[in-house]
Amino acid sequence: MPTPSITPEILFEARRHFLKLGAGALVSSTALSQLLASMPEEIQLSFTKDPNPLKLTPNTFEQVSNYVNFYEFSTDKTAPVKMAQVIKLKPWSLGFFGEIAREEMVEVDDLIAKFGLEERIYRFRCVEGWSMVVPWIGFPLYKLLDYLQPNSKAKYVKFTTRHEPDIFPDQAKGLFASIKHPYVEGLRMDEARHPLTFLAVGMYGKPLPKQNGAPIRLVVPWKYGFKSIKSLDLIECVEEQPLNTWQAMAPEEYGFYANVNPHVDHPRWSQAKERLLGKLTKQETLMFNGYEKEVSHLYAGMDLRKQY
Amino acid sequence: MKTLIVVLALLPLGYTYYALESAIDPIKMLYTTTGVGALLLLLLSLAPSTCQRFCALNLLRFRKTLGLLAFVYALLHVSVFIVLDSELDFVTLFAKSLKKPFIYVGVIAFLILLLMALTSTKKLFARFSRYHKAVYGALVLILLHDFWAQKVAGAFEYGMMAIGIVLLGERVWKECRFNMSKRH
Ligand code: HEM
Repeated sequence: MPTPSITPEILFEARRHFLKLGAGALVSSTALSQLLASMPEEIQLSFTKDPNPLKLTPNTFEQVSNYVNFYEFSTDKTAPVKMAQVIKLKPWSLGFFGEIAREEMVEVDDLIAKFGLEERIYRFRCVEGWSMVVPWIGFPLYKLLDYLQPNSKAKYVKFTTRHEPDIFPDQAKGLFASIKHPYVEGLRMDEARHPLTFLAVGMYGKPLPKQNGAPIRLVVPWKYGFKSIKSLDLIECVEEQPLNTWQAMAPEEYGFYANVNPHVDHPRWSQAKERLLGKLTKQETLMFNGYEKEVSHLYAGMDLRKQY
Repeated sequence: MKTLIVVLALLPLGYTYYALESAIDPIKMLYTTTGVGALLLLLLSLAPSTCQRFCALNLLRFRKTLGLLAFVYALLHVSVFIVLDSELDFVTLFAKSLKKPFIYVGVIAFLILLLMALTSTKKLFARFSRYHKAVYGALVLILLHDFWAQKVAGAFEYGMMAIGIVLLGERVWKECRFNMSKRH
């Protein structure tokens, strides 16, 4: 587990907690342990480790946190690192609606308390041709779905990024926005319930950096990265297939499924190989991003050239 | 002065070499520096003649240097494509070049620049100078290529497009006026 870097912000938070406890804290050991317990979670998350059966080597935290597509801030890959710091993480409640037994809003912290945390070291492949390996922290989406109890009309799960133009400047640009807002993604119910499908609240043992889609995002490792929607606001169970943002933007280039597939090119570029971040040489892209054994049954009988 | 231009124009390459080791996505970084460098230098090489007409500032003697520098960047850009991106796999390379409009538009633009660079010596230029008007074709193709290289075009692409339109438009306008005055 990498040691967390202690930022001045964290120290500031810690000092505030310390002062709240009063002068007695200086001598009282119970107060000291209370202090430790109430330390902001920026420091470490507790989770079950991924035994990493595929023996994947994660990219560095610096690479993963400095190379992001977060068009709500900018189409540049590093600009969101600074810009995203305006996101206010607490409170942040997620809305659950649609064809489910219990429609409600739940704080991210309460979700973590309910479902616990585990680590998943996954490959991540962007449709643009680069890839990385990330140790995410979170919980599988099926745990949440079990809790929400979708009814028989729930055929798809629809995900929506928070729409708050005060935070996300591109959402305030109207006609001149880089993409349609708010960002929408979708999964078929069986894809959503697949044990690999994951909701991440952290990575590298720490809460998600804001530019990586804090406080909570989707991760679907066998699909192109744009399916892994950031900074979630709503999760809805719906009857009709949602129109995901990139499909709405350019339907001949991006489909609903967006499964990683080295044999089906993007109309403008090849998908056969990929650039692993930090490497000057390329590597082969794997069918379903290396998760073929686990997920290919979901697409039996489908023409993946048409249903891209 | 020409030496200074060459040195200034090549500085970004030095920086790129230095930054390569810690680059997060090195191949993409090389594509961007060389591609954007070539495009900027090409636009700069078209500026002197407009400049002369508008501000009576004669910078024409720098045109060739700027044009050749643009070619150097384009050559490096194409080398990235052949060596690093396609890893000298010429079968895939040709397949890609023929199938993807985004790529063959770049290839055509590069061939135009290549022919211009080859015929840029004093002797050959005297014979081939009128073909150097093809640079306008190359510019249009490159602007298109740059547009297609993005998932969505941003401020940079629109900015380049605008500068290109101003430089090309000014020439068209000049030609029109010239033709009109000939008729009178
Ligand atoms: C054989 C000819 C060419 C090939 C095969 C080629 C290939 C490419 C590729 C593959 C990319 C996209 C990289 C990526 O985003 O993954 C690209 C981007 C670009 N190319 Fe070319 N190119 C060619 C010629 C040119 C020429 C002649 C110029 C300019 C003079 C040029 C300017 C650009 C620019 C400005 C970009 C966008 C850079 C960025 O935003 O990252 N290209 N080219």
